Amino acid sequence: MIKLVQTLLSSISVGSLYALIALGYTMVYGTLKFINFAHASIFMLGAWFSAIIAAALLANGVTGIPAIVLSILIVMVICTTLGFVIERLAYRPLRDAPRLNVLITAIGVALLIENVAALNDVKIPGTQTTIHGFGTQPGKMPELLANADLFSIPLGSGTVVVDKVDALILGLSICLMIVLEFIIYNTRLGAAMRAASHDARTAALMGIPVDRTISITFIIGTSLAAAAGFLYVMKYPSINPPVAVTWGLLGLKAFVAAVVGGIGNVRGAVVGGLLIGILEQAGAAYLSPHFRDVYVFALLIFVLLVRPTGIFGSTAVEKV
Amino acid sequence: MSVLLDINSISLSFGGLKALSDFNLLMNKGDLQGLIGPNGAGKTTCFNVLTGVYAPQAGEMRLDGKLLNGMCCNQITRAGLARTFQNIRLFGNLTVLDNVLVASRTQIRHTMFGTVLRSMGHLREERALHAEAMTLLEVFDLAHLAHETSRNLPYGSQRRLEIARALATRPKILLLDEPAAGMNPQEKKLLAELILSVREKFHVTILLIEHDMCLVMSICERITVLDHGVTIAQGTPQEIQCDPKVIEAYLGKPMESEAI
Amino acid sequence: MVALLRGFYPYAIAILIAFVMYKVMPVGAEKIDLGILQINSFFTKVTGAIGIAIIMAVSLNIVNGYTGQFSLGHAGFMAIGAYTSAWITHYGSIHFFGNANAMEGLFTKGSALFVASLLAAGLVSALFGYLVGLPSLRLRGDYLAIVTLGFGEILRALLNQTQPVLDEFDIEEATRGEIFTGLGGALGFSGVPKYSNLFWVWSVAIITVIICYRLKQSIHGKAFLSIRENEIAAEAMGVPTTHYKVAAFAIAAFFAGVGGALFAHTLGNIVSPNEMNYQRSIDFVIMVVLGGMGSISGSVIAAVALTILPESLREFSEYRMIVYAILLIVFMIVRPDGIFGIREFWEVKWIRRLFRRTPKETHAP
Repeated sequence: MIKLVQTLLSSISVGSLYALIALGYTMVYGTLKFINFAHASIFMLGAWFSAIIAAALLANGVTGIPAIVLSILIVMVICTTLGFVIERLAYRPLRDAPRLNVLITAIGVALLIENVAALNDVKIPGTQTTIHGFGTQPGKMPELLANADLFSIPLGSGTVVVDKVDALILGLSICLMIVLEFIIYNTRLGAAMRAASHDARTAALMGIPVDRTISITFIIGTSLAAAAGFLYVMKYPSINPPVAVTWGLLGLKAFVAAVVGGIGNVRGAVVGGLLIGILEQAGAAYLSPHFRDVYVFALLIFVLLVRPTGIFGSTAVEKV
Repeated sequence: MSVLLDINSISLSFGGLKALSDFNLLMNKGDLQGLIGPNGAGKTTCFNVLTGVYAPQAGEMRLDGKLLNGMCCNQITRAGLARTFQNIRLFGNLTVLDNVLVASRTQIRHTMFGTVLRSMGHLREERALHAEAMTLLEVFDLAHLAHETSRNLPYGSQRRLEIARALATRPKILLLDEPAAGMNPQEKKLLAELILSVREKFHVTILLIEHDMCLVMSICERITVLDHGVTIAQGTPQEIQCDPKVIEAYLGKPMESEAI
Repeated sequence: MVALLRGFYPYAIAILIAFVMYKVMPVGAEKIDLGILQINSFFTKVTGAIGIAIIMAVSLNIVNGYTGQFSLGHAGFMAIGAYTSAWITHYGSIHFFGNANAMEGLFTKGSALFVASLLAAGLVSALFGYLVGLPSLRLRGDYLAIVTLGFGEILRALLNQTQPVLDEFDIEEATRGEIFTGLGGALGFSGVPKYSNLFWVWSVAIITVIICYRLKQSIHGKAFLSIRENEIAAEAMGVPTTHYKVAAFAIAAFFAGVGGALFAHTLGNIVSPNEMNYQRSIDFVIMVVLGGMGSISGSVIAAVALTILPESLREFSEYRMIVYAILLIVFMIVRPDGIFGIREFWEVKWIRRLFRRTPKETHAP
């Protein structure tokens, strides 16, 4: 019983992380119709920048809640700027290109980010400049929250423990999702985003600045990935090197969440994220922890074969 | 005359919209029939049902006595029913000749192993089909363009290539979806002659969707008129021209208020 | 009879070329001195790597280039081939010859076992290719990419959990299950008898190129291409697209499996699950994309270039992937069809112009 509740708690915390990343995938897919492979790399950058900024803040005497708020804001700003640049340079020239080309570009961008991030203090020949990458060694997130339990509930013969980090993840994710929900369904910008994702050409004819709307959608997705990166390193403080396969896998699983929920559907991404979280954690706890990825990908293949549009998705048929 | 295509009360609706209701059509061998109607009348939908893109919700389609219901697109094409597309769908990056060769694949018997080993069957069939494709292109005045990338052809040639490609599948019935769209009167005239000569040379039966009344009236022997998925008239061009229902569908009801 | 010869002589020539390469290229401490160029065994090693890269890139071209599907799981098929053949030669050698050491010489009983393992690797891999291809009937490009990626990762996770490899002494008291799953786990399959050499690698490489080229030139090949160009029109022209899509996956997987088997039996290569992750798949995708989707000669050239470059620029190895990434992005923006597009390099206009001897005729007015 305790195991069940504990598993459920960690599922929700991991699931909301997946949901945050999945939101970015689903939003980009909704408007631009391609899988943004670079999303996982942005998530990775978010994680690494969090560690560096948090360390810098701690060194300057900022601790506790202000440190958390500051570092998450700075990380989101950095990643958002980067997302803007990526969109501008790599994706915008390909607005009308076949989708496969954009997909390949996205793979290229992902490779570029990963490998530039993996550079170790490199001197650019002929100049004094050095690029400080994150290197190829694992990093460490300094402790911002004393990893104490928030509260514990006695249950039967034992106690269920809710720790602060999990609470933070859940709280912050819910906040961000509510903000996103508000933007999408209650603002002019949101209406423009929905219109552009439904039919970009018609939206343009209706006077919606489609290019700008798409950029903004992209940037919002990026900032969510950055936030997810921060929360991820709060939960798992030892950080894998930038080129590690882990990042790509985490991103892929989040994409699976988006597909399971119905790609292009924001609420679907949240539900999908939670589902994936539950599946993975429950599988790890009750079956075998070695096959975490296998459960998720098996679910993906099952969903794609049985209901390719996902839980909330709708079908689009090509006209003949 | 033997019945080649027998369409028996086909119906199809998308959600609440009746795209095609109780559609009947009989085609004898060697017929050249037309299918007309205002925009959105269900003509292309009719083609899509015939070629297996959509499955009809009721009714039967028989080609030479063989039931077409439940077959997928490529099976129907191999059964002998080929089509062209209203919005041209050529294989853009392939050459003109290759476009035709893809369609002639319906004739080959050898497997991919034969290709890899250059078996006798492979050599004989490839050679025969190449020759056949070239003759076909000659008929359509495309032979000199055989090695051009089809994407780069002028519009009129692309339309002709669509027809040539459909013929390469050796169909019993050829379905032409607005072959004259976007052509000038001169080109339309040539196209009409081409369609007639194709029927003679290749012994195919032709069903034609067209907006240009001149063209339809001049070459078709029988015409079916659709409006909102309903067949409102069937008959010879003369009968159709005088049919009040057809005039109403095209021109609207006489304005009674004005008469008063 | 004549036809039979016509069908087979290119394959015979391929084997001959490979044999000459095997005889000429130095092994061990030998060296060939060509004045400017010193060819040593390192050169031989790179040549072998090039051969395998060609097999992988050209076969991937059938799926990603010809048929216009998008597979990111090619390294997975490579892994299946590598493990299948390694299992057969390792345990087969123990069973038939008493130990798992490779035999000296080109044509021995051991090589026969090796060739059998190559074929088995191809067939098992093709079977998996068929299974992975099935979702392609319902899914479009990018979803398919994810499924193939997922397939590769599932495979990796499963291979990581296998049992240690058994040697001729352990095998005495091992159960069937232990032998069957004795693939080495995360450490990799050690002790594979290293039978592969330039002869085998390049025979297979050239034969792969010939087969893929013959396919492309034939009507069957045009059917593959038509699916990539316009699937709806292809269906309407009587091409059974489902059949061809699955066939493309199976054929590509067959060659990838054989390529993986050759990789596994090459001296100095480790057969481990993490060696064949999706980053390796992406390497092959890069070759196909840069060379031109659908261009066999493009894939070959890209495979050669992208294998030699990192070897010759060892000191810049950190930058290798950065350069690849930038190349990918720039190519997609500036020249999305790759260097040669769908054509072979001798069919491309700008290359023809380079080699034209006489200047263009000028028409007198």
